[in-house]
Amino acid sequence: MADRYFNPFQAIDINVPVEFHEAFTRYCQRSADAVIDQSPFPRMVDLWFLSVCVAARLGLEPADTTKYDTRKIIDGSIFGSDPWRVHQLMLIAIGKTGDVHIVSEPRKMMTLASGLAVAGLPKVIEMLKDGDAEPIWNLSDAVDSLLRKEKAA
Amino acid sequence: MKLLRAEFQNFRMLRDLELNFSSDPEKKLTVIRAANESGKTTILHGLQWALYGDAALPGKGEGFRLHPIDWNASEGKRVPITATVEFELTTYRRVSGDVRETRRRYRLVRSAFEDVDSQARRSASTVKLFALNETGASPIDAPEAVINDELPPELREVFFTDGDRALSFIEADVALSTKRERVQRAIRSLLGLGVIDDAIKHVRKSASEVNRKAKQVGSGSELNRIASRLEEMENDREKFEADLEDAKQQFGAFDEKVDDIDRKIAAALQKGDKEKLQKDLDQAKREIKRLDDQLATANKEHSALFRSRSIATDLLAPLLGRAFEKLEELHDQGKIPNTTIPVLQDRLSAEICICGETLESGDPGGEKRRAHIQKLIDDSQRADEIQEIITDLYYGAKPRQADGDSGSSVWLEEYKAVVERRDGLQTLRDEAGRKFRALEMQLDELPDTDIQGLRETRRQYKDQRDRHLSRQSSIETQLTGLRREREDLEANRDRLLREQKKGARILAELEVTQDVTKVLQSAYERITNEELHKVSELMNNIFIEMIGADPEQGAIIRHAEISREFDIIVYGPNDRTLNPDRDLNGASRRALTLAFILALTKVSEVEAPNVIDTPLGMTSGYVKRSILRTAVRESSQLVLFLTHDEIAGCEEIIDEAAGVVFTLTNPAHYPKMLVNDPGVAERKALRCECDHRSECQLCQRRADAQAELEMAS
Ligand SMILES: [Zn+2]
Repeated sequence: MADRYFNPFQAIDINVPVEFHEAFTRYCQRSADAVIDQSPFPRMVDLWFLSVCVAARLGLEPADTTKYDTRKIIDGSIFGSDPWRVHQLMLIAIGKTGDVHIVSEPRKMMTLASGLAVAGLPKVIEMLKDGDAEPIWNLSDAVDSLLRKEKAA
Repeated sequence: MKLLRAEFQNFRMLRDLELNFSSDPEKKLTVIRAANESGKTTILHGLQWALYGDAALPGKGEGFRLHPIDWNASEGKRVPITATVEFELTTYRRVSGDVRETRRRYRLVRSAFEDVDSQARRSASTVKLFALNETGASPIDAPEAVINDELPPELREVFFTDGDRALSFIEADVALSTKRERVQRAIRSLLGLGVIDDAIKHVRKSASEVNRKAKQVGSGSELNRIASRLEEMENDREKFEADLEDAKQQFGAFDEKVDDIDRKIAAALQKGDKEKLQKDLDQAKREIKRLDDQLATANKEHSALFRSRSIATDLLAPLLGRAFEKLEELHDQGKIPNTTIPVLQDRLSAEICICGETLESGDPGGEKRRAHIQKLIDDSQRADEIQEIITDLYYGAKPRQADGDSGSSVWLEEYKAVVERRDGLQTLRDEAGRKFRALEMQLDELPDTDIQGLRETRRQYKDQRDRHLSRQSSIETQLTGLRREREDLEANRDRLLREQKKGARILAELEVTQDVTKVLQSAYERITNEELHKVSELMNNIFIEMIGADPEQGAIIRHAEISREFDIIVYGPNDRTLNPDRDLNGASRRALTLAFILALTKVSEVEAPNVIDTPLGMTSGYVKRSILRTAVRESSQLVLFLTHDEIAGCEEIIDEAAGVVFTLTNPAHYPKMLVNDPGVAERKALRCECDHRSECQLCQRRADAQAELEMAS
């Protein structure tokens, strides 16, 4: 796969509404000294991607990001370090639209994913906060029950 | 810079001592043979005092007596102290395409007077620099500037090293932040990053000036108020930053003191017949450290669960299942080209078909089959872009997709394992903490006043250390607040400027300063990282070469590096990080610090000496020789203080590499360790010309004494 791999999102920035920026600085590790239990996500893209996944899992509709004041927080080149995410973003786009042709339109795919991220972010933040433990444990338990519940359904 | 000669008068036990150093590029090594307590540490201090003044002495010289402790007051109540260092500087100048090398010799003299009483008050030292030539010595202005250029004070610990103390670059006893600061400061001073620092400061200043213009434009208005506030904030920032630097340094200093006391307590326990307690304490501390390391790793594993492929795959399973059904459909309709193209191409070049028939170009049947296969390939390759992406997606994502279908969650399994590991380790850690506290209670109850005194001092130092740490946190918080407020105010100021007639020009000027600052800052980061990488690589090469001969460690240690956070890290098999305290033996630890020091000096491209005390302690055999040989090769001038024990086994290397070898003796070692009475009543370091293979009336030692002394130290 390595030699055939390419990152269509290379040139596309990831924009996030400003009201979520604080959550990104709060829950993502920004230095080697970060307290992991308080800031569970190694990088910003990990929080963003988890929000996409959670929204998809819960069947949330993508939010209309044009209604928000968004700023770039992550460079699209980040996916170069985790190529599997490129595949998953494509599959999400196909799954959501039912149209395989969307794979040749990286901007459309990113808009869709960003919409899902915005829809999923409040949910993920809730997962981090709800509970009596540190954010990493609250989130872990929430993901745990989400995976079990939906599977049972 | 190369050291040529040094001379000391009344500098502690160096009452009257002259040293010379080899400057021969073919014989770069100078060996000063000296038993412990023969003035080695004092010479290190003396050289640094000559070059950098009181700032280079322990505790910045405060309360640090310089005159000989057994000074006879009848010889005067004010002791003149001098330290002289002669060195050679090589400069390079381009002369019509050629590089012309010029060597000049200099003499640096520092002197001070000190009162002979318990206060030991000392006058501010005077320093003079002279250029030496055939006819005499001519004085040079600003000696400090010359020294700072040639031997940057930030690298002092790199040029003048005590082998034992240098271990603090890697040892776990010292706080992580202290080690980092040290490594970071050393590396940043390498490339003269101070120049960029100064430039940034300069640009900041011009930004303040532009802000002042904005203040004038909007006199009496909101703009004026904001610009004035920004001006005040700039002053606050400077003050906070200076405070922060001070807090960091103080923290480091007290951290070292705590560490020092710990060593003294350990020694006192050993003496006081409390070896068992000391051993238990040591073990408990090590256990705690080991568990903390493991806990940190487990936490990282926990965090990694949120960037893993499995969390995405598991959460997305229902949606991805639908997407994949789409792809399967296409595949079944034959719209996804299979991956036979490479296979077919392979066949063509092999000239034999999959069915075994020939595909040779000359053969008529072969020619026909060839054409057919070529057409198949062309058709496949004409598949459009979308198909290409989908094909990639189908084959790329398929294997993992199959896992997702099976219904079991990989992530839940991983999470379960992490919880078990973290909980298990935490239980052990709590247990170890309890054990340690119980031992400390035992320690508290010891009737030994020496030990209790040390423990009290330790408590005080620790309090001080923690106070500076909390000071650091509060300044950092204030600085963050300041930065945020400043950004808001600046945005407001710029908005108001836009409304002003003269505003556009001022705004443009401000933008320029902001752009320049950004460029400088990114240059700063980039250079730091590049230099860091160079030092890291070279350190690894030197280190691996030094310990290569050690079969035991050779099997454990894979490589060493300096991380982006300025931590020195050693890796074992499977990229597992090793703990220098636990997994490395004494020789490897020593090799690692020497490798770091030599790499720093070399990358700095400063031609500078490395003066090292006890470089080979705790090493033996092949490894010892390999450390010595590598150090000689990597240094441009190597001055080593070696005990008889350290020399043992390395004689041939010294024969070959050393241009100067002499011996120092402490007459107070008679009769316990010296064979003959030197007939000197004072405590002072004496020099004889004996090399590493000979001894004389003065330096001849008792055979058993050396071993005893080594043990005691
Ligand atoms: Zn001798």
